[in-house]
Amino acid sequence: MDEAQAVEILESLLKHVDADGAEASFHSGARFTARFADNRLTQNVQAENATVSLAVSYGQRHGGASTNDLSPESLKALAERAQAAARVSPPDPEHMPPVTPEEAGEYSQVEAWDEATAALPAGERIEAVCAAMKDVEAAGYRLSGAHTSSAGLHVLMNSAGVRCAHRSTESELHCTALGDHGSGWAQATSVRDADIDTAGVAREALEIARAAQHPTDIEPGRYTVILRPAAVWEMIPFYLVCDAKATDEGRTCLRGKLGTQIVDERVTLRSEPAFAACPGAPFQGDGMASSGLSWIGGGVLKHLCTSRYWARQSKRLATGWPSNLIFDGGEASLEELIASTERGILVTRFWYIRDVDPMESLLTGMTRDGLFLIEDGKISRPLIQLRFNDSVLGCLNRLEAIGQCERVENTYVPALKIRDFNFASKTKF
Amino acid sequence: MLELCRHAVGAARSLGADYADARVMEIRNQHLATEDQRVSGVHDAESMGIGVRVIVAGAWGFSATSRLTRPDAERAVRQAVEIARSGAAARATRELHWADEPPHVAEYRTPVRKDPFAVPVEDKIGLLLEVNKRALGVKGVTKCYSHMHFRRQHRWLATSEGAAIESDVCTSTACCTATAVNGTTAKQRYLEATPCNIGYEHIEQTPFLEEAERVGAEAVEHLSAKSCPSGQKDLILLPSHLALTMHESIGHATELDRAIGMEESLAGSSFATPDQIGKLKYGSPMMNVVADNTLPVGCASMGFDDDAVECQRYDLVREGMLAGFMCSRDTAHAMDAARSNGSCRADSWGSIPIVRQSNFSLEPGEAPLTLEELIADTKDGILIDGMGSFSIDQKRYNFQFGGDCFWEIKNGKLAGMLKDVTYWAITTDFWGSLDAICDRRFWEPIGVMNCGKGDPMQIAQMSHCTAPARFRQINVGPANR
Repeated sequence: MDEAQAVEILESLLKHVDADGAEASFHSGARFTARFADNRLTQNVQAENATVSLAVSYGQRHGGASTNDLSPESLKALAERAQAAARVSPPDPEHMPPVTPEEAGEYSQVEAWDEATAALPAGERIEAVCAAMKDVEAAGYRLSGAHTSSAGLHVLMNSAGVRCAHRSTESELHCTALGDHGSGWAQATSVRDADIDTAGVAREALEIARAAQHPTDIEPGRYTVILRPAAVWEMIPFYLVCDAKATDEGRTCLRGKLGTQIVDERVTLRSEPAFAACPGAPFQGDGMASSGLSWIGGGVLKHLCTSRYWARQSKRLATGWPSNLIFDGGEASLEELIASTERGILVTRFWYIRDVDPMESLLTGMTRDGLFLIEDGKISRPLIQLRFNDSVLGCLNRLEAIGQCERVENTYVPALKIRDFNFASKTKF
Repeated sequence: MLELCRHAVGAARSLGADYADARVMEIRNQHLATEDQRVSGVHDAESMGIGVRVIVAGAWGFSATSRLTRPDAERAVRQAVEIARSGAAARATRELHWADEPPHVAEYRTPVRKDPFAVPVEDKIGLLLEVNKRALGVKGVTKCYSHMHFRRQHRWLATSEGAAIESDVCTSTACCTATAVNGTTAKQRYLEATPCNIGYEHIEQTPFLEEAERVGAEAVEHLSAKSCPSGQKDLILLPSHLALTMHESIGHATELDRAIGMEESLAGSSFATPDQIGKLKYGSPMMNVVADNTLPVGCASMGFDDDAVECQRYDLVREGMLAGFMCSRDTAHAMDAARSNGSCRADSWGSIPIVRQSNFSLEPGEAPLTLEELIADTKDGILIDGMGSFSIDQKRYNFQFGGDCFWEIKNGKLAGMLKDVTYWAITTDFWGSLDAICDRRFWEPIGVMNCGKGDPMQIAQMSHCTAPARFRQINVGPANR
């Protein structure tokens, strides 16, 4: 379904609305996944969906509903359901009227669409994956993973005159290579299928797996670590963007810290919807332009995620939530970071990270798919996987070096070298 | 809708599919959320579509669409067949084993006394706001969130073997979370109508109004609680907490697809493997774990799974020894089972069915034992209520858990609240330390609504049942050790 058809549906929906304010959005998407394990295809899955959502308000009373039945009768019923909910809801003092075009600001020109990827070439993906599996099998290892290509369209219209649309494609591949005594992992994400080097990603996972065989014991404790970008992605950026209202009410780790130095001055974390290597959506769910700004600049907390309501209350910029996150990188390659380390641990990625004490940004999680001891600037041996307990803010105040960036999911993050990283316990493999 | 499913199955067969199933689902989710004395969200979401799964030349294909006309269903069938053919042509598919199952023609409905979707929205909101008001009335409570969530999943499933199944499952839950803040930190405490397959009567039977002030007071008390000592302690875990430990350290470890490596790249694998059935010492001899998708209130109970297999009750651990795995029709062979135990589900019409955790239970102790008696029998321990931080490695060995609220036990008595409690262990060591379980009077189901697995990720629901239980000499301490 294209933008014109989506607009037609939303206009038809809005004709049924008699509320004071209305915001209608259309999301459609299609994806294909080739999934594999143990050098065999396991699931080949294609799915498509299109959903219409409606939020309405009578003064400060509001309600919402959604459906994926796009028939005229269903759209009428959708309007009735949303309005019925709004009519019986008590007035919400924090409800804001629909965004006006002036308030929305200017949308970034985001190039996030690739026609070839949107065609979801299932046969090509399956062939590429099968070729990679054969290479890995020939090396005596087993390959598991998934390659997903997707295409989506988001159109938003409201009763204040905002109308915006964004379409995007994404291709994501991750591979785990397994030997009998250890594993390795690698990934790639892009707007374009053509950018994904299936054989190359599988080869990277294989090389890590080869080095990870027969891991050896090490006592938990504090070590200098080098986190590859995938490990940084899981642990660092999302815990540094907090809701402004919750923070001002003393309920996040960034309470009282706006405008102050919270981490090493080399840290800059920002959003830029039009960033070519990792584009974000140009507008938020309410139609406000996605902000291009620094959340942390030179180690100083510059912004909190601020809703329109809280922006008015606190007299700050309404930032919304980040549509992408870019952690500015450095020049050092991974090899250079390793070479500069007398004794430390190289982490391929983390698994199952959870808050332990969100007020202290204290997290726990496990290492996974390749953990290595570094001695005298070289990888000396693979290690049994370890559990960490450490704080995000603490880590970024113990920053030794920033490496080069790569895209991981919807972030663009570097490798980081951190001293005194706290490993708390170990597992059995 | 069964007619549309049968039509799709017929179309798949005519295109050369050796097996086909078609599943229409109509899913409705209603969320109501409040923050302090305001309504932060009221949303009613409906989603409907058809998913078609085929086997062609030994390869799987799956395609789904939200359009429910015959031509659209036929298009989905063609795509599924084409995808399967591409897989078959690549000659890289697994050898397919498909366990037999009689073709059931049946209906299943959750026993519901009061339809939650028929209860006026204003009544539900009124309850949530009153709960918040009572919790906020406690000095020191600065924030209270509460919400209700109701889900209805109406499913029609037809297979090329002749199965024709209709199910209508209703799930209800509600939760209130009070937060207390001082100058340096914040602590929370929650009260939940645990997710169950049941109607609105579940919400009405949960003492939200009666307990709201206690919940608020415990959030405040938590702020000034003594920090957790480091060392080894006996733990008494209440069902509200132990359910999550069971979910992570037993449930995921006994999913057969994980155990044979099919989930390696995302959710991971398992330390337990089928060749260890009857040989692996999982826990102490009093550990009996039974999967049961026939439990009426269990969140995974739906009569028949998405392989069209009748839901069953079966052993996972018997007297401390590994006894079985949760499986699907195409994985049952890996544990030499002739029949699947009916644990294959998809989270929507747009997802392919995969092995999911069943409802399962740590069977209660046979000898009469109350929680009070268990505490009185414990010299140096910690009592843990509710879910908190949880993390476990991808083979389900090393875990670390927090909780919602903690009390020190000294010489058989509760000796005040603790904070910053975490405990960590290796799964088999932990279950090996189990030495007491309260009796059936204290056994209860706890629902899980957000279990993530699969790639693309699917979110499933299930229940875990237990009575309070004691584990001896577990490592505890604040996590920043």
